Amino acid sequence: MVSLLEISGLAKSYGSVIALRNANFTVLPGEIHALMGANGAGKSTLVKILTGVIQSDAGSIKVNDAEIRFTSPDNARKNGVAPVFQDPALIPDLSVRRNLRLTNTDINTFQENIARLEISVDIEEQVSRIELPILRMIDLARALAHSPRLLILDEITAALPANLAETVIRVMNEEKKNGNSVIFISHRLSEIGEICDRVTVLRDGIDVDIFKTSEGDEDRIVSAMLGSKISANRSQARSSGNQNHPLLKVSSINDGHKLKDVSFTVNKGEVLGVVALEGQGQDALFEILAGERRAQSGEIDFNNTKVKFSHPSDAIKLGISYVPGDRKTALLPQRSIRENLALTKFRQLRSWSCINQDNEDTMVDKAVSNLEIDTRASSQVKRLSGGNQQKVTIGRWITTGFDLLLCFDPTRGIDVGTKNQIYQLLTGLSAQGKSVLLFTSELREIELVCDRAIVLYDGKIYGEFDASICDEELLLNAAHGRSS
Amino acid sequence: MRISIREQMWNLSILGLVIALTIWRGNQLPVFGSYEIKTILLGIVPIALLAMGQSLIIIGGGINLAIGAEAILINCITAKYSEGTDFATSLKWAIIGILIAAAIGALTGWIISQSGIADIVVTLATSFVLIGLALFIQPGPGGGVNLDFAQTFSGKGDSFLSPLLVLFLPILLIWLPLQRSRIGISFYAIGSSKDAAFLSGVNVKRTRILLYSLGGVFAGICGVSLTAITQAASPFAVISNTATLNSVAAAVLGGVSLAGGVGGLFGPALASLVLYYIPTIMLGYGIDPAYSQIIQGALTVLVVLVGGLLRSRGKR
Repeated sequence: MVSLLEISGLAKSYGSVIALRNANFTVLPGEIHALMGANGAGKSTLVKILTGVIQSDAGSIKVNDAEIRFTSPDNARKNGVAPVFQDPALIPDLSVRRNLRLTNTDINTFQENIARLEISVDIEEQVSRIELPILRMIDLARALAHSPRLLILDEITAALPANLAETVIRVMNEEKKNGNSVIFISHRLSEIGEICDRVTVLRDGIDVDIFKTSEGDEDRIVSAMLGSKISANRSQARSSGNQNHPLLKVSSINDGHKLKDVSFTVNKGEVLGVVALEGQGQDALFEILAGERRAQSGEIDFNNTKVKFSHPSDAIKLGISYVPGDRKTALLPQRSIRENLALTKFRQLRSWSCINQDNEDTMVDKAVSNLEIDTRASSQVKRLSGGNQQKVTIGRWITTGFDLLLCFDPTRGIDVGTKNQIYQLLTGLSAQGKSVLLFTSELREIELVCDRAIVLYDGKIYGEFDASICDEELLLNAAHGRSS
Repeated sequence: MRISIREQMWNLSILGLVIALTIWRGNQLPVFGSYEIKTILLGIVPIALLAMGQSLIIIGGGINLAIGAEAILINCITAKYSEGTDFATSLKWAIIGILIAAAIGALTGWIISQSGIADIVVTLATSFVLIGLALFIQPGPGGGVNLDFAQTFSGKGDSFLSPLLVLFLPILLIWLPLQRSRIGISFYAIGSSKDAAFLSGVNVKRTRILLYSLGGVFAGICGVSLTAITQAASPFAVISNTATLNSVAAAVLGGVSLAGGVGGLFGPALASLVLYYIPTIMLGYGIDPAYSQIIQGALTVLVVLVGGLLRSRGKR
């Protein structure tokens, strides 16, 4: 049988970061094919190339045995590939009708597909007034209206209520019966076996496994996603914190969107890991604890006193420091290492007095040598490497002092050597009696750095584990909402 | 196509304000007839055209600080080469002027798209270049235009039909058809969400070039109307800067969101009437025009504040 889509040797890199190394992937006519991979495995890059959002550096794409290059989303759509992204590609300020006009979608065909999806939509309604699940369905109906041969559904079931998710799955099967194909991307492992015919697993930009769902189970997917296990050496013997001295106690936090009844405790001198797939509410959780966002309900106790933050400075005053995931938001990129390190210290000075230069010098020099920051490009932080930038964001809080450090994926996109230095830094801090709440997308880090770990799944705490028993398989299974 | 209720409400409120101000102004004058209406229309035609061009660009997510300079440049070009000519030559230069303005706009849009530099920086720079060019072409006030041609624009005698047409023909001939077309929707799309527009198959760069080019067409018509109304050129940066700022004020007063993607061209056209009335009415009371700028500024802030409040309440 001639495959509908055949991808071979696809590669793409962004600067020095390699997103796809050598990806091969085939989709047969009339099949539902799951595309799996851990965070950063190259899934979204592959999807972007397939939909014409970006162009590959190397490799070929064949549709029905004819080589093709998707130059734009429009071009991909015309070639029978229609995507539905996690964030619906609809213009918020325009009505549904005008959005359809923009993509040259026939209104009648669209309405037929809306009926097929069993929802009702006022097409004169402005998109920004429609709820997200319905927007996804509208986006799907629009994609279907173009009668695609290949439908790409990226995490479509993630934010859908059960009845809509069922409808989507029904429609996928109908498409399959008509000889069309679907590429299905989902974090919900349990769906894969039920819905899909075959699975391709990506890891580090390479397709590492491809099999029929009848021949392999969820465990095979998980082990392919993980690859060969790296033996983890814990950097040092860990004290598991002082159980009798809880520092932070979070009770039944809801943010009104994703987070539901999240409760946990961080003890003094403990590194607590947070494990979650993308979009499980971890960003909201960290922002609430840092005072950037307010929880809808729930309580936060810090040092046995109930606290309420209305501004990040409230949290900072109490000794809660936040190192956000995006280094760029934390740093002043045009300013020097000195100014960036001393920035949080300025808060302690009287607003109108001069800054004592000697004092600042001593403090900054100490921080630079402690953190082993490479100061060759000290005049502008934006010229530092990612790893050194990250050290500056953590270092500024060390110079000011804190009790609890909230670290959001601090090692994303930095080299191994610097990663190890950051691990040592974090474990060192906990040895001094400081506490750390660490979200990481690298599961290996839980074993290396943490004392305990909690797993967030679908906005809820799925489980709590002692770090000594946390291998990656266990965590990955838990993060996908299944027990192993 | 249905105009959003919010936009209709906004336009109606501005219309109410305009009617109130018109009555006020009418009471100030001993007679309020055809001639007075013509005077008012001639007073607002240039600023209204400029406001429409600016609004278009703001709807598409940009802003053009050189739009006043574009108009002044076209004013200088047409006034210089139309002086003492017959009707046909003046018309020819008017068309050339509008085309030049469109080309300048397209070039501006191209530079913004290719360089990735913010609209506000690029257009601030081009505004200096354009005013310099205008001074080069027409070093001081002067120039002229064929009288018949001027009267086609500004009307013979007391008839206010011509300025009314100059005001509304661009809306009727350019905006109404455009608004319904895929290109017009693309303008809103790139102003509202560039990413979603790109994913919907809009060529963002090409659309932006077209957007600035069309803004240029409005600025060009504005320049020609200045030539026709004043029958001269005045190459002054002060005029172009004030005109640019007024065009932004009229756009905002007229319900165009500076965030892009929201608004239309009717509102800003009406709002330019408000901007015209405030100094005129105050002058009627013998108040220094400098004070009217305070009122105008305060009113703009007030309207934007109220508008913002209404919008955030609507979202809840």
